[in-house]
Amino acid sequence: MDYFSEGLARAVELLLALDPETFSAVWTTAAVTALALGASLIIGLPLGFALGHFRFPGRRGVRLFVDWMLSLPTVVIGLIVYALFTTYGPLGEWGLLFTVSGMAVGLTILGLPIILSMTATAVESTDAALTQTVLSLGADKTQLLLATLSEARFAMALAAASAFGRIVSEVGIAMMVGGNIKWHTRTITTAIALETGRGEFATGIALGIVLMLVALVVNLLVALLRRRAG
Amino acid sequence: MNAPLYELRGIEAAHEKGGERVLHVPALTIAHGEILGLAGHNGSGKSTLLKVLGFLLEPCEGTLFFEGALVDARAMRAGHLLRRKAVLLGQETRLLRRSVAANVAYGLKLRGLPAPREVVSRALALVGLDYAGYAARPWMRLSGGEARRVALAARLALDPMALLLDEPTAGLDRESAEHVKRAVISARVERGATLIIASHDMAWLSSCADRVLTMEEGRIVAGL
Repeated sequence: MDYFSEGLARAVELLLALDPETFSAVWTTAAVTALALGASLIIGLPLGFALGHFRFPGRRGVRLFVDWMLSLPTVVIGLIVYALFTTYGPLGEWGLLFTVSGMAVGLTILGLPIILSMTATAVESTDAALTQTVLSLGADKTQLLLATLSEARFAMALAAASAFGRIVSEVGIAMMVGGNIKWHTRTITTAIALETGRGEFATGIALGIVLMLVALVVNLLVALLRRRAG
Repeated sequence: MNAPLYELRGIEAAHEKGGERVLHVPALTIAHGEILGLAGHNGSGKSTLLKVLGFLLEPCEGTLFFEGALVDARAMRAGHLLRRKAVLLGQETRLLRRSVAANVAYGLKLRGLPAPREVVSRALALVGLDYAGYAARPWMRLSGGEARRVALAARLALDPMALLLDEPTAGLDRESAEHVKRAVISARVERGATLIIASHDMAWLSSCADRVLTMEEGRIVAGL
């Protein structure tokens, strides 16, 4: 128990002293999460909306594929991205292995299906009752599309919050594609794994506290959005 | 004005393309300013007929005239122009995820019209809701009855040529139902709107409608 409380006290000390190594991991996590979440949203929101709103041949197949992507283990995604970016891989010349950008690509593959699936589901569930309501009030096709987008806004924000939570707490892809390089690609999660393995319990706890605070904020946001989404 | 508002000839309709035909109306004429009641059991075709009259469902056979003009496939492609004249409050209708005032103003904004406070306030007053207490309230803080009344207010604010109401008092308590009934009557008395109302409340329909049609299995069996 002393070991734990001492670790906790040291963790608070590290955070209050703005320990550079600790904050390097926090900064890398913020950067890679922002990149991956940004890419997931830019690609996923319009495609997810289209998937939920429009009826086209092969739509069910696309939905099945997206749902399958959701269940892919992160270590497999890490393995695939590693194989693509390694020196002799097909995209090796891009030099993305062990870089923040390379990690962001891997984490985008993790976040994208979440955004796609949740957005499509939100739009689908909104459409049924909404279409008649909006059309009966005199909306044309563009106004119907905009209304659907507007009605799904809370659910889309919920999708973004869920993807954020998943990306920020991911360890497998970050470790395999990023390589856990100190001052460079070490994120909160990979640092916790490393520091705890090395017996540096305090640093692990300090980073764990940051991650838990982030998780708390995300969960509060998700709870709020869930209520607003109805 | 000489032509009736609606004229239906040999109308057949199905819920989906190629599906079973559930509405069969050989002939029906509805005059401007008329209050027409639709009675019948669940599944008798009242809601389907209202959807056809509200231009939300295209008939698979027959001809439909609105204001003397043929409503064909080309006219239905610009169906929103027709729906701006004949507004339906369906059973599945729900509120948008906005405030009460924004919901009432929504249809006006779709038409590019201003939605001043007086218009919203008057529409809410018609259904017995006061502006001060309700305007800013979000959709999720309304009871089922209040939401239904707001939905009706949103349609009354549009001052439509025809107002089509599918079970407007269903699920409402007695007081709310009375407000709705008064609002519906005022739409005709004050604005000359044509009203087509499907309801199980036969006493009310008989008291306010100029004529009541009884429907069974998609056909009008009495009242023509």
